Amino acid sequence: MNLKLASVAVAALLIGSAANAQDVIGYITKSATNAGWMMINQGAEDAAAAEGVTLVAVGPAFQGDLSSQLEVFENLVAQGAKAIAVAPVDSAGIAPAVNDAMASGIPVIAVDTGVSGADVTSFVATDNYAVAKVQGAVAATLIEDGQPIIYVTGNQAQSTGQERRNGFIEAFTAARPNSEILEVPTEWNSQEAQEGVEAILNSRQDIAMVANAWDGGTMGAIAALRNLGYGAGDVKLVGFDGASDAIVAMREGWVHANTAQMLYQMGYQGIRAAAAAARGEAVSPRIDTGFFLVTPSTAAVYSAMVGID
Amino acid sequence: MTDIVQDRAGRSLQDRAVIAMVKFFRADWSGAFLAILILGIAIELATTGRPFFHPSNLMTILNNSAAIGVIAAGMTLVIITAGIDLSVGSVMGMTAALTGYVVSFWGFPPSLAILTGLTLGLAVGAFNGTLVAYFGMPAFIVTLAGLSIWRGTGHLTTGAQATPELPEAFNYFGRHNPFSGLREAYQNGELTGLWASIGGFVDANWVNFFRTFQMSMLIFVGFFVVLTIIIANTRYGRWVYAIGSNEPGARQAGINTARYMLITYMFCSFTAALGALLFLGRAPYAKSDYGQMWELDAIAAVVIGGTSLFGGRGSLWGTFMGVILLKLINNGLTLAQLDTFWQMVVTGMIILVAVGIDIVRQSKNPESVRKLLAAIAAVMAFLACMTPGAIYLRAKIALLEHHAADALRAAGQQLAPGQNARLLSPDEIAAFEAAASANITAALLLSLLVVAAGYVVFRGRPLFTWILAAGFVAMIAPLVALGYQITVPFLVLGAIVAFGSNFVFTIFAKARTLDVNAG
Repeated sequence: MNLKLASVAVAALLIGSAANAQDVIGYITKSATNAGWMMINQGAEDAAAAEGVTLVAVGPAFQGDLSSQLEVFENLVAQGAKAIAVAPVDSAGIAPAVNDAMASGIPVIAVDTGVSGADVTSFVATDNYAVAKVQGAVAATLIEDGQPIIYVTGNQAQSTGQERRNGFIEAFTAARPNSEILEVPTEWNSQEAQEGVEAILNSRQDIAMVANAWDGGTMGAIAALRNLGYGAGDVKLVGFDGASDAIVAMREGWVHANTAQMLYQMGYQGIRAAAAAARGEAVSPRIDTGFFLVTPSTAAVYSAMVGID
Repeated sequence: MTDIVQDRAGRSLQDRAVIAMVKFFRADWSGAFLAILILGIAIELATTGRPFFHPSNLMTILNNSAAIGVIAAGMTLVIITAGIDLSVGSVMGMTAALTGYVVSFWGFPPSLAILTGLTLGLAVGAFNGTLVAYFGMPAFIVTLAGLSIWRGTGHLTTGAQATPELPEAFNYFGRHNPFSGLREAYQNGELTGLWASIGGFVDANWVNFFRTFQMSMLIFVGFFVVLTIIIANTRYGRWVYAIGSNEPGARQAGINTARYMLITYMFCSFTAALGALLFLGRAPYAKSDYGQMWELDAIAAVVIGGTSLFGGRGSLWGTFMGVILLKLINNGLTLAQLDTFWQMVVTGMIILVAVGIDIVRQSKNPESVRKLLAAIAAVMAFLACMTPGAIYLRAKIALLEHHAADALRAAGQQLAPGQNARLLSPDEIAAFEAAASANITAALLLSLLVVAAGYVVFRGRPLFTWILAAGFVAMIAPLVALGYQITVPFLVLGAIVAFGSNFVFTIFAKARTLDVNAG
């Protein structure tokens, strides 16, 4: 009984001191080392500074590690975070933790990847499926019907990976029904992309294009092309993300189209929504951060916009 | 009759075959090699276009095995001393990132950057090795801490940012092709006489063969050849095994075990740094998140190659085969365009088979060998069964899900979008019902074969095994008639192993009467 009282008192103290200072927003990112994620994380930090909240950002021990995300989630709830923004490594796996937090009155904002099996306060992301359809349609215009292509997938156990693949394949096959699509499965690992693309390119001479579910794959595909002695433009490349190294590769003639997510915006809007929810304001349940179609003719505009020099 | 063909020692062809077989299975690498062969044949049958066993494809596999391969070689020596090094992936990532970093941002010339990377590897190894050998800390703990420390250090020092593209010099560790200069000269018409015809030959066979003949592969194979010679011919090599099989004994025999363990850990981290260079030679840029989970791949390759985790026993060529097997799985399954999730399942199954062969090989017990063969027959029957079986099951499950979702909706439950996807249109229902009824006969017949093969695993009566082999053969015609040509290789292989399992005891008995070492 005494113990219980004591713990309630400690909790009250903690919450009290937090309210006196700044609101604490937990931010659970998917990766601290992936180029795209670093842009999202930058947006998150800037939003926290603009909103005047304290951001506690934590990444998983390695990319795709669900158990460390769950642990961090519980710790943040225990530390009395006022709102939590999370980029789940596993849409369904994170659901129980999200349910617990929501039930105890902590708003949860899903960033980039949705949560399945639990309600969230808001889902801030590019509509991956819709953007992937644009990517597929644009990719189709780069080749003739009947020319086979390679598609480098993302993790197919995640909604982001599934939606990008489904959207691309749907739009691409609608426009180029006779083109064969050879898939290179990856778990968002550019080494897997490089080795798979290299294996297929080496066994078939007729591949016209490599389309990628994310720009780590695009960079892996470029390495594969270089390893086999191809030059820029010999095989068409289509990226997804608009990461800075892929945009540089576009200037060099390797990449021909890239559907850029507004990565910085995703982090920025995500934390703004979290801060608003923490103050008890109403937040839209779905915030679409949009996309930008980068082609060699629009690359300069895009580079200026996101600050790639 | 067999005595007609005899060698000088007066042995029949049959005896020589038995001797060759025994010699093959004595090698540590035979398990991994057999798994490679079986997998290769299966992929060959499943793919169209350029053959899987094409030299160009095999060289691609070797090229991509190089980085993890040299690291697995270092790991082999550590494991032979009964140690472990969990930090190799992190050390690889850190040295790759730092080597790229100093060359890109500090203006180091490539040679100095490479030297820095290799020195860094040796330094980390000296740290790990000192703690293990001189302070008696468990290798598992020291290197587990290292896994975290070196990864973090790599991220911290480089800000986890990718470098720009690395200088050309790094290509000499990777994608550089020794023939490219010759080909270029030929294309520019600079060659005359014999050189011109050699150049023409290289140019004509560029895509077919020479394109993938790259430095990665040459360094990889050369490294294993040199290291094998060193281990076989030096005191260090013998003492590594001695330390692994009996460390106190080795110490009492006057071996400075601590020093040799330190050297082994230094060498292992050095291979991690060398692996980083080989990887940079093929990668788009340098980055500190390279090499994640490589420690597990390296350990898997070592164990698949027949090296004991308890130390004292193992071989570098086994590791070589183990690395090739791991890379071959990825390469082959991608070429065969197997579904992503199936790739994961199949990868694990192949590793089990390779290690299973190795364990049975070491047991030297004919009954275990017979059981293994029967188990392979059962797996083949299962794979054949899954061809019509998967179609049947998918149709049945889709129908069940439809009815369940329908019932829920009728009961007034709100369904989430993902759950609504389980509802089918009337056309789809008809199609699934047709698919289910078309495949049930074949699926049932083949399930019977699976059960029979499973029975033979436990009860190896010769007569029943004959019937099983005949069952495999008898199934071929009806399945081809049903349009399942793809099951033929499974059935043929199943028949062969079932048939072969009846001869295991004879072969073992024969091998015991022969003096294998004399041949």
